[in-house]
Amino acid sequence: MGVRAGTVLGVAMLFTGCASLPAPPVAGARSVVQSRSDGRPGALAGARASVARDVQQRGILTRHAVLGAVDQVQGSGAAAANGLSKLAASTSGIGGANRIFSRHVAYGSAQLPWLQNALANSRALADATAGIGDADMDLAILRMAGPRLQAAMFGTILLATWVDFLSLADVVLQRFHFYSVETLFADMNRVQQLMAPSLAALASQDPDQVEVVATAMPDLMGKLTLEFSSIREGVRVATVRGGQAMAAAQLVEMLTMLSAMKMSLARLPPPPAAPVALGPSLVMGSGGVMMGSQVVVSAEWVEMVRRLVQSGVVSLPAISAAVRIHAGQVMMAQANGDLPQGVRDALGDSPEVRGMRETGKAGAGMSEAPKHHVLPEEHRAWFEERGFRGAMNIDQFCVRLEQAHHQAIHGGGNWRLGRTSPGEWNRKIMDTLRDAETAVRRMLTRNEILEIVADNMKNYRIPMSFVPGRRR
Amino acid sequence: MTDGGAWEGNWKARLQERVRGLGFTSLTAFAEARPTASLVALAEELGKDDVAGIQVCMGLLAEAEQRKQLARFERDMLVRELSRCIPNGWPAVLEDPYRFPVAKALSLWIGDIPEARQERARRVMMTLLTNPPPPGWLPQGPDDELLRMLLPDEEA
Repeated sequence: MGVRAGTVLGVAMLFTGCASLPAPPVAGARSVVQSRSDGRPGALAGARASVARDVQQRGILTRHAVLGAVDQVQGSGAAAANGLSKLAASTSGIGGANRIFSRHVAYGSAQLPWLQNALANSRALADATAGIGDADMDLAILRMAGPRLQAAMFGTILLATWVDFLSLADVVLQRFHFYSVETLFADMNRVQQLMAPSLAALASQDPDQVEVVATAMPDLMGKLTLEFSSIREGVRVATVRGGQAMAAAQLVEMLTMLSAMKMSLARLPPPPAAPVALGPSLVMGSGGVMMGSQVVVSAEWVEMVRRLVQSGVVSLPAISAAVRIHAGQVMMAQANGDLPQGVRDALGDSPEVRGMRETGKAGAGMSEAPKHHVLPEEHRAWFEERGFRGAMNIDQFCVRLEQAHHQAIHGGGNWRLGRTSPGEWNRKIMDTLRDAETAVRRMLTRNEILEIVADNMKNYRIPMSFVPGRRR
Repeated sequence: MTDGGAWEGNWKARLQERVRGLGFTSLTAFAEARPTASLVALAEELGKDDVAGIQVCMGLLAEAEQRKQLARFERDMLVRELSRCIPNGWPAVLEDPYRFPVAKALSLWIGDIPEARQERARRVMMTLLTNPPPPGWLPQGPDDELLRMLLPDEEA
């Protein structure tokens, strides 16, 4: 008989736990657009003010969505960390066998620091947007949290999966002695190698690498699911051959019953006799994304994610991958990477969102364009003194600029107009910031600096889209 | 999302073309019809995707140099920065949190004008901060009386 990899709920628990977001405190935010006291703004100014309010509102909601997502991923990460520490403390099972499996446990524990760091930085960035008087800058900083958040989301899925493999090994070592330790050791090495490139790419938190890994995750989860069931099948067969048919029959049940087990692997694909392509298809229902009568991801989660997608914090392909992993549709990767349009719409798909990706990515040739620090590097210490540290250090505020644009800003190329040669960007921005400090008679705050920088960026039409750059 | 489109091709010619297309003989005339609009708003009106505020600023400066109306250009820029940063007018109290928007308007304004004239502009900034105008003051154009006292036409 075929072995079914039990119903697996872990991933769903990773994200969809009861996430009700706190109501955003709109009233507490600083108003960007003040209404005119004389009431003469006219229709255009009125429309502009309303657009600005919308953008500001969006920033607040997006900030809450980022913080909500951080909390959820942190919760699942804590569960995985808890499982790891129990396994690490164990002296029998995986802790026995001459401790040859301790390296596998250690590999899991080694992921925790970067995961925690990615989440802490996402939170720091979201917190940093509170009180910035420029809604576009606000969103741009929230988008900086995106790759970190995405890395942590998918890193946590992989870590939880690894903990499942460790738990499987633990059970086998404790109870199923007919399966050789050497074979199990080789199995674990093989699985680790399967995961390692993706985990390393996620740990880099490099936006491009994270995106590639995220979109390829359903496929990887499919491979891991097959590995899991093939190891288990090997254990079952060895146990039957050893004359312990009863124990073998209990194996599946035992694995799913184990309380420590947070099984995050997806269901196995349908048996070969069944139609290949399709399990029940996903639809958007009132309870969330549904597969048949089962809720795959909750409506609250969809709502949170839609904000993140629409604001460009996380990408639709990455989120689609997460949903497919929840649904266990991991083996359909090659067949059809896209979710049904109704589900995509619910997750925030729109021409605007697709356009945002085109602009930000290689589609516009921008990923090749050189990066430039918006906050002049030679004044690093000055900015550090004013709060540009940690997740908000000046290396995080780089923009990609085409050559013509860059020349223009730095005073060369087609910049000159008549006899006028305005100062180059760096000197100009520093002059303005120093003049502002003179006028305000104290150090500027980080938010005030960002406000002034945002104004200059808009004036130069520099895209408000930051990428991390290198420290010289 | 904006992009580098503003700097492609001959943007000076593009600017002139758009201004004429709207029925104005010069960028200055176009801007004078919108005396309190920000540079970014002027740029957007001239080209939603391919004109930058800094280009409008440079175009206005070039025309002001030709007309020998640099002081008027400076007053014009200050009106626009003040309208944007302190739309409710000059604050009654020049302390936090009301002081920063004023500081921002004045420092950005200094950045708008030619370097050779920035020292004088800094003195004007200090004059305004030490002898503040009446609360609610918000000049509506370069002919504002107080502005003309602070930044008089040199040619006159």
